[in-house]
Amino acid sequence: MEEKKLVQLSREGNQEAFAELVKKYKTKMFNLAFGLTRNHEIADDMAQEIFIKTYFALPKFKFKSEFGTWLYQIAINHIKDYLRKEGRIKKVLFEESRQNTFILENETIRKEKEQSLEQRKKLIHQAIQTLPQKYQVILSLRDIQGFSYEEIARILKLSPGTVDSRLHRARKMLRKKLAPFLNLKGGNYEM
Amino acid sequence: MKCKKAERFLSKSFDGLLKNKEKEELQRHLKSCLHCQKKRKEYQSILETIRKKDFPEPKPYFWKRLQPKIEERKKYEPWSLWKQWGIRAIPLALLIVALLAASIVFFFPHQNEELSQSEVLLLRNMNPLQETRTLLEEEGVEDKNMMLIFAAMEEKK
Repeated sequence: MEEKKLVQLSREGNQEAFAELVKKYKTKMFNLAFGLTRNHEIADDMAQEIFIKTYFALPKFKFKSEFGTWLYQIAINHIKDYLRKEGRIKKVLFEESRQNTFILENETIRKEKEQSLEQRKKLIHQAIQTLPQKYQVILSLRDIQGFSYEEIARILKLSPGTVDSRLHRARKMLRKKLAPFLNLKGGNYEM
Repeated sequence: MKCKKAERFLSKSFDGLLKNKEKEELQRHLKSCLHCQKKRKEYQSILETIRKKDFPEPKPYFWKRLQPKIEERKKYEPWSLWKQWGIRAIPLALLIVALLAASIVFFFPHQNEELSQSEVLLLRNMNPLQETRTLLEEEGVEDKNMMLIFAAMEEKK
Protein backbone atom coordinates (compact mmCIF):
# COMPACT_ATOMS: atom_id res chain seq x y z
CA MET A 1 0.00 0.00 0.00
CA GLU A 2 1.12 3.54 -0.72
CA GLU A 3 2.82 5.30 2.20
CA LYS A 4 0.40 8.23 2.17
CA LYS A 5 -2.53 5.86 2.45
CA LEU A 6 -0.82 4.04 5.33
CA VAL A 7 -0.33 7.33 7.14
CA GLN A 8 -3.94 8.30 6.52
CA LEU A 9 -5.18 4.99 7.91
CA SER A 10 -2.82 5.21 10.88
CA ARG A 11 -4.19 8.66 11.67
CA GLU A 12 -7.64 7.09 11.85
CA GLY A 13 -6.35 4.56 14.37
CA ASN A 14 -5.67 1.62 12.06
CA GLN A 15 -2.91 -0.24 13.86
CA GLU A 16 -2.15 -2.60 10.97
CA ALA A 17 -1.32 0.38 8.81
CA PHE A 18 0.89 1.82 11.52
CA ALA A 19 2.57 -1.58 11.90
CA GLU A 20 3.48 -1.37 8.19
CA LEU A 21 5.05 2.06 8.69
CA VAL A 22 6.97 0.76 11.70
CA LYS A 23 8.22 -2.18 9.66
CA LYS A 24 9.46 0.19 6.97
CA TYR A 25 11.23 2.65 9.26
CA LYS A 26 12.24 0.68 12.37
CA THR A 27 15.77 -0.06 11.17
CA LYS A 28 16.32 3.54 10.07
CA MET A 29 15.18 4.87 13.44
CA PHE A 30 17.24 2.29 15.28
CA ASN A 31 20.33 3.13 13.20
CA LEU A 32 19.89 6.84 13.84
CA ALA A 33 19.69 6.24 17.58
CA PHE A 34 22.50 3.70 17.55
CA GLY A 35 24.76 6.02 15.55
CA LEU A 36 24.50 8.60 18.29
CA THR A 37 24.42 6.42 21.39
CA ARG A 38 26.44 3.34 20.35
CA ASN A 39 24.31 1.37 22.77
CA HIS A 40 22.08 -1.40 21.44
CA GLU A 41 19.68 -1.39 24.38
CA ILE A 42 19.26 2.38 24.49
CA ALA A 43 18.95 2.64 20.71
CA ASP A 44 16.19 0.01 20.69
CA ASP A 45 14.29 1.77 23.49
CA MET A 46 14.70 5.08 21.70
CA ALA A 47 13.39 3.69 18.43
CA GLN A 48 10.31 2.40 20.30
CA GLU A 49 9.77 5.75 22.00
CA ILE A 50 10.11 7.55 18.67
CA PHE A 51 7.31 5.43 17.19
CA ILE A 52 5.10 5.96 20.24
CA LYS A 53 5.57 9.73 19.93
CA THR A 54 4.91 9.51 16.21
CA TYR A 55 1.69 7.53 16.73
CA PHE A 56 0.25 10.14 19.07
CA ALA A 57 1.50 13.01 16.92
CA LEU A 58 -0.05 11.61 13.72
CA PRO A 59 -3.19 13.81 13.97
CA LYS A 60 -0.88 16.84 13.71
CA PHE A 61 0.78 15.59 10.53
CA LYS A 62 -0.51 17.80 7.70
CA PHE A 63 1.19 16.07 4.73
CA LYS A 64 3.22 19.23 4.09
CA SER A 65 6.38 17.12 3.93
CA GLU A 66 7.18 13.48 3.30
CA PHE A 67 6.23 11.22 6.21
CA GLY A 68 9.85 10.01 6.40
CA THR A 69 11.17 13.56 6.80
CA TRP A 70 8.61 14.29 9.50
CA LEU A 71 9.48 11.05 11.29
CA TYR A 72 13.17 11.97 11.25
CA GLN A 73 12.29 15.37 12.72
CA ILE A 74 10.50 13.66 15.62
CA ALA A 75 13.40 11.26 16.03
CA ILE A 76 16.00 14.02 16.05
CA ASN A 77 14.07 15.98 18.69
CA HIS A 78 13.72 12.87 20.82
CA ILE A 79 17.41 12.03 20.51
CA LYS A 80 18.36 15.65 21.27
CA ASP A 81 16.41 15.42 24.53
CA TYR A 82 18.31 12.28 25.41
CA LEU A 83 21.66 13.81 24.49
CA ARG A 84 20.88 16.89 26.58
CA LYS A 85 20.37 14.68 29.61
CA GLU A 86 23.33 12.43 28.88
CA GLY A 87 25.76 15.12 27.73
CA ARG A 88 27.64 15.56 30.96
CA ILE A 89 28.13 11.84 31.55
CA LYS A 90 29.53 11.32 28.05
CA LYS A 91 32.04 14.13 28.55
CA VAL A 92 33.35 12.44 31.67
CA LEU A 93 33.58 9.10 29.84
CA PHE A 94 35.58 10.65 27.01
CA GLU A 95 38.00 12.30 29.43
CA GLU A 96 38.52 8.93 31.15
CA SER A 97 38.95 7.26 27.80
CA ARG A 98 41.51 9.90 26.76
CA GLN A 99 43.57 9.12 29.81
CA ASN A 100 43.29 5.38 29.19
CA THR A 101 44.34 5.88 25.58
CA PHE A 102 47.43 7.74 26.69
CA ILE A 103 48.42 4.82 28.92
CA LEU A 104 47.58 2.33 26.21
CA GLU A 105 49.56 4.31 23.65
CA ASN A 106 52.58 4.41 25.88
CA GLU A 107 52.40 0.66 26.30
CA THR A 108 51.97 -0.27 22.70
CA ILE A 109 53.37 2.63 20.72
CA ARG A 110 56.76 0.98 20.30
CA LYS A 111 55.24 -2.30 19.13
CA GLU A 112 52.44 -1.02 16.97
CA LYS A 113 51.73 2.55 15.94
CA GLU A 114 48.40 1.89 14.29
CA GLN A 115 45.48 1.75 16.64
CA SER A 116 43.07 -1.06 15.99
CA LEU A 117 39.98 -0.15 14.05
CA GLU A 118 37.70 -1.07 16.93
CA GLN A 119 39.63 1.04 19.36
CA ARG A 120 39.64 3.99 16.97
CA LYS A 121 35.95 3.60 16.30
CA LYS A 122 35.17 3.63 19.98
CA LEU A 123 37.30 6.68 20.58
CA ILE A 124 35.81 8.59 17.65
CA HIS A 125 32.28 7.86 18.79
CA GLN A 126 33.10 8.90 22.31
CA ALA A 127 34.55 12.12 20.96
CA ILE A 128 31.40 12.73 18.88
CA GLN A 129 29.33 12.36 22.01
CA THR A 130 31.20 15.20 23.67
CA LEU A 131 30.34 17.65 20.88
CA PRO A 132 27.41 20.06 21.23
CA GLN A 133 24.15 18.40 20.25
CA LYS A 134 23.67 20.20 16.96
CA TYR A 135 27.07 19.04 15.77
CA GLN A 136 26.45 15.46 16.88
CA VAL A 137 23.18 15.45 14.98
CA ILE A 138 24.59 16.85 11.75
CA LEU A 139 27.57 14.48 11.81
CA SER A 140 25.26 11.59 12.40
CA LEU A 141 22.94 12.53 9.56
CA ARG A 142 25.72 13.15 7.04
CA ASP A 143 28.57 10.85 7.95
CA ILE A 144 26.83 8.01 9.77
CA GLN A 145 23.43 7.87 8.06
CA GLY A 146 24.69 9.18 4.73
CA PHE A 147 22.01 11.79 4.00
CA SER A 148 22.65 14.42 1.35
CA TYR A 149 22.95 18.11 2.26
CA GLU A 150 19.47 18.75 0.84
CA GLU A 151 17.89 15.93 2.84
CA ILE A 152 19.56 17.18 6.02
CA ALA A 153 18.33 20.70 5.27
CA ARG A 154 14.77 19.37 5.02
CA ILE A 155 14.99 17.27 8.19
CA LEU A 156 16.58 19.99 10.31
CA LYS A 157 14.68 22.83 8.60
CA LEU A 158 17.92 24.63 7.77
CA SER A 159 19.23 26.22 4.59
CA PRO A 160 21.78 24.13 2.63
CA GLY A 161 24.34 26.86 3.38
CA THR A 162 23.83 26.43 7.12
CA VAL A 163 24.11 22.66 6.75
CA ASP A 164 27.42 23.16 4.94
CA SER A 165 28.94 25.48 7.51
CA ARG A 166 27.61 23.55 10.52
CA LEU A 167 28.92 20.29 9.13
CA HIS A 168 32.33 21.81 8.50
CA ARG A 169 32.44 23.21 12.05
CA ALA A 170 31.42 19.84 13.49
CA ARG A 171 34.10 17.95 11.56
CA LYS A 172 36.71 20.53 12.47
CA MET A 173 35.85 20.26 16.18
CA LEU A 174 35.96 16.48 15.99
CA ARG A 175 39.30 16.49 14.18
CA LYS A 176 40.80 18.82 16.77
CA LYS A 177 39.61 16.60 19.59
CA LEU A 178 40.97 13.47 17.97
CA ALA A 179 44.19 14.78 16.42
CA PRO A 180 46.37 13.90 19.44
CA PHE A 181 45.31 10.24 19.19
CA LEU A 182 45.40 9.71 15.46
CA ASN A 183 49.18 9.85 15.29
CA LEU A 184 49.24 10.85 11.64
CA LYS A 185 51.87 12.82 9.76
CA GLY A 186 51.73 14.84 6.59
CA GLY A 187 53.53 13.77 3.45
CA ASN A 188 51.04 12.31 1.04
CA TYR A 189 48.85 14.86 -0.65
CA GLU A 190 47.30 12.81 -3.48
CA MET A 191 43.53 13.00 -3.49
CA MET B 1 45.14 29.68 -0.64
CA LYS B 2 45.15 30.00 3.13
CA CYS B 3 45.02 26.98 5.43
CA LYS B 4 41.59 28.01 6.75
CA LYS B 5 40.06 27.90 3.28
CA ALA B 6 41.96 24.69 2.49
CA GLU B 7 40.42 22.99 5.53
CA ARG B 8 36.95 23.95 4.34
CA PHE B 9 37.72 22.53 0.92
CA LEU B 10 39.15 19.39 2.55
CA SER B 11 35.94 18.79 4.45
CA LYS B 12 33.88 19.32 1.28
CA SER B 13 36.15 17.05 -0.75
CA PHE B 14 35.04 14.09 1.36
CA ASP B 15 31.48 14.74 0.20
CA GLY B 16 32.54 14.94 -3.44
CA LEU B 17 31.28 18.50 -3.63
CA LEU B 18 34.39 20.28 -4.88
CA LYS B 19 34.40 21.82 -8.32
CA ASN B 20 37.36 21.03 -10.57
CA LYS B 21 38.84 24.48 -10.07
CA GLU B 22 38.55 24.13 -6.28
CA LYS B 23 40.11 20.66 -6.42
CA GLU B 24 43.12 22.00 -8.30
CA GLU B 25 43.43 24.90 -5.88
CA LEU B 26 43.38 22.52 -2.92
CA GLN B 27 45.90 20.16 -4.47
CA ARG B 28 48.29 23.04 -5.10
CA HIS B 29 47.99 24.08 -1.48
CA LEU B 30 48.45 20.55 -0.16
CA LYS B 31 51.65 20.10 -2.18
CA SER B 32 53.25 22.90 -0.25
CA CYS B 33 51.62 22.58 3.19
CA LEU B 34 52.57 19.72 5.48
CA HIS B 35 50.19 20.96 8.12
CA CYS B 36 47.19 20.60 5.80
CA GLN B 37 48.43 17.23 4.53
CA LYS B 38 48.25 16.04 8.11
CA LYS B 39 44.79 17.47 8.48
CA ARG B 40 43.67 15.66 5.33
CA LYS B 41 44.87 12.35 6.76
CA GLU B 42 43.10 13.05 10.02
CA TYR B 43 39.82 13.79 8.25
CA GLN B 44 40.25 10.71 6.10
CA SER B 45 40.89 8.48 9.11
CA ILE B 46 37.92 9.88 11.06
CA LEU B 47 35.44 9.89 8.20
CA GLU B 48 36.39 6.46 6.91
CA THR B 49 35.91 5.07 10.39
CA ILE B 50 32.54 6.64 11.13
CA ARG B 51 31.20 5.98 7.66
CA LYS B 52 31.68 2.22 8.07
CA LYS B 53 28.23 0.75 8.47
CA ASP B 54 28.42 -1.53 11.46
CA PHE B 55 24.91 -1.25 12.79
CA PRO B 56 23.36 -4.17 14.59
CA GLU B 57 19.70 -4.98 14.02
CA PRO B 58 17.00 -3.75 16.40
CA LYS B 59 15.85 -6.36 18.89
CA PRO B 60 13.37 -8.93 17.51
CA TYR B 61 9.58 -8.61 17.76
CA PHE B 62 9.83 -4.84 17.47
CA TRP B 63 6.14 -4.31 16.69
CA LYS B 64 4.95 -6.91 19.20
CA ARG B 65 6.86 -5.03 21.88
CA LEU B 66 5.69 -1.65 20.63
CA GLN B 67 1.97 -2.33 20.31
CA PRO B 68 1.23 -2.90 24.04
CA LYS B 69 3.22 0.24 24.86
CA ILE B 70 0.98 2.26 22.55
CA GLU B 71 -2.13 0.71 24.11
CA GLU B 72 -0.79 1.47 27.58
CA ARG B 73 -0.03 5.07 26.61
CA LYS B 74 -3.55 5.46 25.22
CA LYS B 75 -4.93 5.00 28.73
CA TYR B 76 -2.93 7.99 29.89
CA GLU B 77 -3.93 10.07 26.93
CA PRO B 78 -7.72 9.59 26.83
CA TRP B 79 -8.15 13.23 25.84
CA SER B 80 -5.83 13.02 22.88
CA LEU B 81 -8.72 12.89 20.41
CA TRP B 82 -10.57 15.63 22.24
CA LYS B 83 -7.40 17.72 22.27
CA GLN B 84 -7.06 17.26 18.55
CA TRP B 85 -10.59 18.52 17.84
CA GLY B 86 -10.73 20.81 20.86
CA ILE B 87 -7.81 22.86 19.60
CA ARG B 88 -9.49 23.20 16.23
CA ALA B 89 -12.77 24.19 17.92
CA ILE B 90 -11.26 27.20 19.73
CA PRO B 91 -10.85 29.46 16.66
CA LEU B 92 -14.24 28.30 15.37
CA ALA B 93 -15.91 29.21 18.68
CA LEU B 94 -14.17 32.61 18.67
CA LEU B 95 -15.39 33.23 15.13
CA ILE B 96 -18.98 32.37 16.09
CA VAL B 97 -18.84 34.73 19.11
CA ALA B 98 -17.42 37.53 16.93
CA LEU B 99 -20.16 37.02 14.33
CA LEU B 100 -22.86 37.07 17.02
CA ALA B 101 -21.44 40.26 18.51
CA ALA B 102 -21.28 41.90 15.10
CA SER B 103 -24.86 40.91 14.27
CA ILE B 104 -26.11 42.37 17.57
CA VAL B 105 -24.32 45.65 16.84
CA PHE B 106 -25.55 45.92 13.27
CA PHE B 107 -29.05 44.48 13.44
CA PHE B 108 -30.16 45.75 16.83
CA PRO B 109 -29.17 49.44 16.98
CA HIS B 110 -29.36 51.18 20.33
CA GLN B 111 -32.71 52.79 21.15
CA ASN B 112 -32.63 56.50 21.96
CA GLU B 113 -32.32 56.69 25.67
CA GLU B 114 -33.73 59.66 27.53
CA LEU B 115 -31.09 61.76 29.23
CA SER B 116 -31.34 62.62 32.88
CA GLN B 117 -31.69 66.23 33.88
CA SER B 118 -28.14 66.55 35.10
CA GLU B 119 -26.86 65.05 31.82
CA VAL B 120 -28.87 67.60 29.88
CA LEU B 121 -27.35 70.39 31.97
CA LEU B 122 -23.83 69.07 31.48
CA LEU B 123 -24.41 68.90 27.74
CA ARG B 124 -25.49 72.51 27.76
CA ASN B 125 -22.20 73.34 29.49
CA MET B 126 -23.87 75.14 32.34
CA ASN B 127 -22.41 75.90 35.76
CA PRO B 128 -23.04 72.67 37.64
CA LEU B 129 -23.29 74.31 41.07
CA GLN B 130 -25.79 76.86 39.90
CA GLU B 131 -27.82 74.29 38.10
CA THR B 132 -27.65 71.81 40.94
CA ARG B 133 -29.12 74.47 43.14
CA THR B 134 -31.93 74.99 40.65
CA LEU B 135 -32.52 71.27 40.56
CA LEU B 136 -32.59 70.99 44.32
CA GLU B 137 -35.02 73.88 44.54
CA GLU B 138 -37.24 72.37 41.84
CA GLU B 139 -37.30 69.00 43.55
CA GLY B 140 -37.63 70.61 46.96
CA VAL B 141 -34.71 68.78 48.39
CA GLU B 142 -33.23 70.42 51.44
CA ASP B 143 -29.66 69.62 52.11
CA LYS B 144 -28.02 71.67 54.81
CA ASN B 145 -24.53 71.30 53.47
CA MET B 146 -25.56 72.37 50.00
CA MET B 147 -27.44 75.34 51.34
CA LEU B 148 -24.34 76.40 53.30
CA ILE B 149 -22.19 76.16 50.17
CA PHE B 150 -24.62 78.29 48.16
CA ALA B 151 -24.87 80.85 50.98
CA ALA B 152 -21.07 81.10 51.11
CA MET B 153 -20.96 81.58 47.35
CA GLU B 154 -23.47 84.40 47.47
CA GLU B 155 -21.56 86.09 50.31
CA LYS B 156 -18.36 86.07 48.19
CA LYS B 157 -20.19 87.78 45.36
